Amino acid sequence: MNKVITVNLNGNAYQIDEDGYNALGEYISRAEEQLRNNTDRREVIADLEQAIGDKCANFLRPHKTVVTAAEIEQILKEIGPVQNADGEPVKSGESASQSQAPPRQPRDDSARTSAPHRRRLYRIRRGSGWSGVCRGLAAYMDTDVILVRIIFILGTIFSGGFGLLIYIIMIVLVPIAYTDSELNEAHGAPPELRRS
Amino acid sequence: MTLDQKFNTIRKGLLEFLILKIVSVDKVYVADMLQRLGDTEFATQEGTLYPLLSKMRREELVSYDWQESDAGPPRKYYKVTSAGKKQLAEFNDYWKSLNTFINQLGR
Repeated sequence: MNKVITVNLNGNAYQIDEDGYNALGEYISRAEEQLRNNTDRREVIADLEQAIGDKCANFLRPHKTVVTAAEIEQILKEIGPVQNADGEPVKSGESASQSQAPPRQPRDDSARTSAPHRRRLYRIRRGSGWSGVCRGLAAYMDTDVILVRIIFILGTIFSGGFGLLIYIIMIVLVPIAYTDSELNEAHGAPPELRRS
Repeated sequence: MTLDQKFNTIRKGLLEFLILKIVSVDKVYVADMLQRLGDTEFATQEGTLYPLLSKMRREELVSYDWQESDAGPPRKYYKVTSAGKKQLAEFNDYWKSLNTFINQLGR
């Protein structure tokens, strides 16, 4: 008899037996280590978790609700070890441990904390049908989305449609924030606060 | 270093351009890319592809949309950007000139 652990893979729950869970945890932490200096780390990890979840789903049937250790092993073999793309700053060799190369932040960090973080205007989409223009503006000006929307609507009414024109132009010109680092830039938050 | 290891270094550098080529034909998601390269010299895995795609997206060579799928959760469909197309064209030219050069060198 094996213990079963439920895991959350990018928003979906999967039941995995204990050995499989350990192997999976090890894989993810190794991937995080590999991607330590990669600005898209969280996005890549989410992509990987999604891929692992999809593959787990393939092993499940109405009367088979647990993914076994052997199946996890097969899935991880299919996905392969995480390798940084060329041109990314890579930390140490494939299997080498973390101990090499001291972390080089000090100077960086002080610069970061003293200078206010640069803000950029992005469109912020939250899965809704909205274009993200208002949310992006709200983040840029550090105010509430509702307020920005009201101003846009009133502006459109009182300017005879001119506000709508500006809105459409902004949809075309302002880029969408996809990654965490872009979202942070949109909010003007330093990278350390990325978990919020 | 075995012959295969030597070739592997070359293949690794080319992967980015193969991806550009694949996405320049049609919108695809990662499983399509893996399948497309599956039986070739360039067979690769998610662990390599996802970091590469994020890098390419950051360099604005590709972009993606979320699309609902019939089975399972929404997926990222990747497509080439105009900058990506431009780089692909440059790569094609470079590749041709390399080929010509290498062929001439042995004569």
